[in-house]
Amino acid sequence: MEIFKKTPNIDFLKYKWFALALTIAIILAGILNITVGHGLKMGVDFGEGTLIRVMFKEPVSVSNIRQLLSDVGLGDSVIQESGKSGREFQIRTVEARSTRQTSEELESHQILANKVISALQSKEDQQRLAQGLIDLNNIDSRSLTALLMEISPEQGEELASRIMTYRNEHSIIVDWSELKKEPVSLPDEVLNKLQSRTFLGQMTVLSKETVGPQAGKELRKKATQAVIWSLIAMLVYIAFRFKGMEFGAAAIFTLTQDVLICLSIYSFTNREINLPIIAAFLTIVGYSVNDTIVIFDRIRELKRTMRREPLEKIMNLSLNINLTRTIITSGTVFIAVLALFLFGGKVINDFAFLMLVGTIEGVYSTVFMACPVVLFWNQLFKKQKKVRK
Amino acid sequence: MKKNVKWRIGLTLAVIALCIFLVYPPKEKIKLGLDLKGGTHLLMQVITDDAINVETDQQIARFEEVFKKNNITFTRATKEKPGQFYFEGTSADQEGKIRDLIDQYTRDWDYTFTGDRVNFKLKQTAEQYLREQAVLQTLETIRNRVDQFGVAEPVIQRQGSDRIVVELPGIDDPERVKNLIKVTAILEFKLVKAGPAPDEQTLLQEFGGKVPDDAEVVRGDPRRGLQGYYLVSKVASITGKDLRSVRRGTDEWNNPAVSFTLTPDGARRFEQVTGQNIGKQLAIILDGKLQSAPVINSRISDSGIIQGRFTPEEADDLVVILKAGALPAGIKYLEERTIGPSLGTDSIRQGLMSGLVAIFGVMVFMVFYYKLTGLNAVAALLLNTLLTFGALSYFKATLTLPGIAGIILSIGMAVDANILIFERIKEEMALGKNAGSAINTGFSRAFSAIFDSNLTTILSGIFLFQFGTGPIKGYAVTLICGLVANLFTAVFVSRLIFDLTVPTNAKKLSI
Repeated sequence: MEIFKKTPNIDFLKYKWFALALTIAIILAGILNITVGHGLKMGVDFGEGTLIRVMFKEPVSVSNIRQLLSDVGLGDSVIQESGKSGREFQIRTVEARSTRQTSEELESHQILANKVISALQSKEDQQRLAQGLIDLNNIDSRSLTALLMEISPEQGEELASRIMTYRNEHSIIVDWSELKKEPVSLPDEVLNKLQSRTFLGQMTVLSKETVGPQAGKELRKKATQAVIWSLIAMLVYIAFRFKGMEFGAAAIFTLTQDVLICLSIYSFTNREINLPIIAAFLTIVGYSVNDTIVIFDRIRELKRTMRREPLEKIMNLSLNINLTRTIITSGTVFIAVLALFLFGGKVINDFAFLMLVGTIEGVYSTVFMACPVVLFWNQLFKKQKKVRK
Repeated sequence: MKKNVKWRIGLTLAVIALCIFLVYPPKEKIKLGLDLKGGTHLLMQVITDDAINVETDQQIARFEEVFKKNNITFTRATKEKPGQFYFEGTSADQEGKIRDLIDQYTRDWDYTFTGDRVNFKLKQTAEQYLREQAVLQTLETIRNRVDQFGVAEPVIQRQGSDRIVVELPGIDDPERVKNLIKVTAILEFKLVKAGPAPDEQTLLQEFGGKVPDDAEVVRGDPRRGLQGYYLVSKVASITGKDLRSVRRGTDEWNNPAVSFTLTPDGARRFEQVTGQNIGKQLAIILDGKLQSAPVINSRISDSGIIQGRFTPEEADDLVVILKAGALPAGIKYLEERTIGPSLGTDSIRQGLMSGLVAIFGVMVFMVFYYKLTGLNAVAALLLNTLLTFGALSYFKATLTLPGIAGIILSIGMAVDANILIFERIKEEMALGKNAGSAINTGFSRAFSAIFDSNLTTILSGIFLFQFGTGPIKGYAVTLICGLVANLFTAVFVSRLIFDLTVPTNAKKLSI
């Protein structure tokens, strides 16, 4: 099968001004958005608060949660729904500025996090906790085992592990009747005793991540180092692969553009910058540079055989010959990343989103931007040479 | 060109067998990261300044004693900062004698004379040694505590110069463990001179409002139900170091308590102190907070109990920390990540799901687009995935959620090499070559491009590995493994499949 029956003949360079304008527009919009707009949101990896993932028994709305948090003065927390059930949310507290102390930095973050968690618990749950009852939806496996061993010394351990397995699979136990049925099959007398000492809280904490300011600063530094060093490595590699200045410069330009466009688009979403996002950026850059290199290789190959043709024609031919390859290879990566985006779950969703953007942007920059940059470069710096010849 | 087919088949089969051996059964062979199996990740900093501080205090006390003993005159000793102190009011005539004494007692401190002062400064090498020891001892103590607490497969590692990473799988309520790790756990038994009193002033009334030289004020631990202030002797009768064994016990009212026995040396001192002070109170102090102050009823020699309204858990934890010993320096938590087991289970399920969809999607595409030749790529792709897992298991690398993303991404990128080759073959055939020679040229022409394409992404991966932490390292590892495996499968194995299935003189190819 073929995408094109024969080598296509599209004049890509005709669109160079349009492409340039589009690129500049996107990047300018991005810069504006980052500097004076709502900016780039730094995530918990870089020391900005605590990320808490919670799940409720019943669906609730974001505004509902914001109201609960406003009541305890934390209404400015970042609240996002994750999953489609309307029961799962991730909440990030905003930096604990007022309570910041050098010795107990992490603790001040965590005090806020605990405030969020208790704000999300219902009044009834809080009363029950105050009465000394234990929340079965938030108890850890160790304490649950200890509790059930007291209730039923012979079976306790086995029953506790069954309850934990069930809760792990369903995240939250909604109703006591679930524990009577398979696979937990809790005996009635154990269930009765358990009910007298525990309750099923309306919310469970799925995860809680806090990076203190000091560790956040270090992670920021490490991420910056990773980015700078791999960009340097790319530059060295490009310089090594291309003897001609114009191709090297164009590859570097394309690379910068990849980063800026993706960053701009990302800044318009509500997503945060975390470590996996840095990883995605580096992967995009590596992948896109390679795409560009393949095209440039073709151009240099054709330049040898088509000495008399103008550079623009050679470029168009190279792009057209490689078009199938460019589309198909990016297409397979796109399929893989799309699978990750659709089915990979909320934890990896930001990463998958950026990779999707990057894959498409990579094709755009290879096809529409890389070659015109070589032409612009030549017009700027090589005019005199040509005249002399 | 079909030479060597036998050993190439042999090598391929051997690699497959090796990988299956490395990967099977996956539950045992593939190590999962905390983000997949659930647990707590703690990053902490050892405050090594504490160790320098302790050393400085000890030296000051020591030289005060030495100077007094040797009739060296001085007015007082002052600590400027950790690792630096001076003695004031010394006379110039005694300089030689002071030099001799210092040289006799320590080699770790530099000293200079200015006017009537002797300035002490801790040597750089000694300081480094002390800091290093503090970190190593802390690491050891934390390891002991975690082991005593009982966590399956904990990871306790040093990171950088003064950081310690603790990973506790299966712990989804880290508060208790965090406290257990953090307490300094300095246990002291001191005689009570006065108290309890509601505040310091009342306490010190009978001493003229001043703390006597040989005493100090401690507060009762509110968690033990003690609110008041106590005046206790400065010197401890016995300390945690004198304990021989510790275990959970009960007091006379059957409340949880901790019972202990003492070393022979400790027992001798304890016997002496208790014998001489019958009827007085003995304060049991943990990290500067008074736990209980029982009255000494009789001479006690080598065993006793610590009581103080403990819950069973608190008593258990006290046993753990007393057994594991005190920390030589304080700890500060820098990072805490707790992933509940259900989120981990979810992530594995979703990772698996998206991985399967990705593989299936790419395979369907390849067969749809390249027909029978596409099957060749499918075989290479499956083998590539197997190889990646084999490499993970061989390097004992941890599979994390970003790691799964790395594998999925390398699935998408792996067929890149096949596509480069197949497209080249198509081009050659369009020029009128027969299938056999088109395959030949296709492979030889495409190789440099394949090498290039993997190299740039591997470069990014290497730097991510170098500077990344935890999950990101996992991503870098799977991505690099996947792409390296790709060089083998797409070039070597795929070629072998062509040689086995397409006759040398074949005219046509299903591509």
